[in-house]
Amino acid sequence: MCLAIPMRIEAVDGFNARCAAKGVERDVSLFLLQDEGVAVGDYVMVHVGYAIQRVARADAEASWALFDEILATEPPPDGGGG
Amino acid sequence: MRRVTAGATWLARIRALDLPERLRIMNVCGGHERSIAQAGLRTVLPEEIELIPGPGCPVCVCPEEAIYHAIHLSLDEGVILVAFGDMLRVPVNVAKGEVRSLEEARGLGGDVRPIASPTEARVIAAAEPERTVVFFAAGFETTTAPVAALVAEGLPKNLLLLTACRRTWPAVALLLESGEAGFDGLVAPGHVATVMGPEEWSFVAERFCIPVAVAGFTPESLLAAFASVVRQHLDGHPHLTNCYPEVVRPGGNRAAQQMLAATFDVVDAPWRGIGTLPASGYRLKGRYADHDAALRFPAATEQARARAGAMPAGCGCAEVVLGRLTPTACALYGHPCTPRAPVGPCMVSDEGACRIWWSSGKRG
Repeated sequence: MCLAIPMRIEAVDGFNARCAAKGVERDVSLFLLQDEGVAVGDYVMVHVGYAIQRVARADAEASWALFDEILATEPPPDGGGG
Repeated sequence: MRRVTAGATWLARIRALDLPERLRIMNVCGGHERSIAQAGLRTVLPEEIELIPGPGCPVCVCPEEAIYHAIHLSLDEGVILVAFGDMLRVPVNVAKGEVRSLEEARGLGGDVRPIASPTEARVIAAAEPERTVVFFAAGFETTTAPVAALVAEGLPKNLLLLTACRRTWPAVALLLESGEAGFDGLVAPGHVATVMGPEEWSFVAERFCIPVAVAGFTPESLLAAFASVVRQHLDGHPHLTNCYPEVVRPGGNRAAQQMLAATFDVVDAPWRGIGTLPASGYRLKGRYADHDAALRFPAATEQARARAGAMPAGCGCAEVVLGRLTPTACALYGHPCTPRAPVGPCMVSDEGACRIWWSSGKRG
């Protein structure tokens, strides 16, 4: 549950942001980063719909590359056993 | 390919060290355990290094009585019960014929809805103003901070909380204070440290002389943390290192910490099968009593309290959580406990060590 994914901020409306990662868009709350002055074009780590920290673009992109690798090797949900 | 190369470099550095006969490194995050299993780090590290999954799964330590409580709020009180998806399949140990999980409660007409974000609880409450919505929230600090944000933003009148939120480090402190920690080095959880600050983990080195490094979730970051822990051990100078500086900043996220402090009191709290750990839980502050499901539905609370400490016979989850039993050493692993027919939460949650090991193909 502590999984967090880096996303790029595409639009901001108050504390609500529209964020994107690899073509997927989500509504994300910026409430926990309200002192950080994050803006459109910034990258943030998102956990359960909340941005919890800023992250540099290069690190975000490196994480996305890794997620691609993980998804390519992910077994079916129940591991095929029973 | 930068990361692959760097990972190989870290591995080469670890291999070049003059390793002791045995060095046990514990992680306390299901995300770490998942990365370790998926990248096959156990098979590529020198055999002297043993990686132990520890208390890193909030669903796994959620006491049965809390789940029982949620089940009965959904069935007996007619509330809309929302919870993170992992929670729905965790079984409670009740007599045959009784409702065993939130998923079963839903099958029997309980309005149980999985959510992926606390913000969805607010959306559901706004869409159903005539009904009471209870958000059953289990999580460590990383997840509890967004719950605090939800509260700080202002809760709708009909949105209540039932919480089983826990702090991570007190479980590690328990292990270290027991005198049988079972590990020689610790990899501290990257996203807990993102929120709370890495400094929270310095006690491991300072009070207990155990090497400790904060890690991220790439194989590269984990290998860097293992290398740091091994080197600290060899040098005889344990100290906290941060191997996830791209996200973990000194002091952590102070706004999140302030929201946590404004929303919750830190209290002694029960951990499934482990007992009550001092200062390990978050309880909604008295000023939010109107939104505290435990106070609003006292009959269900009493009923749940009577079940405190319940566990299925033979379930090794508590020992697995403490790193004292590997998943495959549990007598129930695979027979009968599997992800399709789980006995305990470690086989249910995506962060449970048993579920992760099973998914990576380990069959005992």
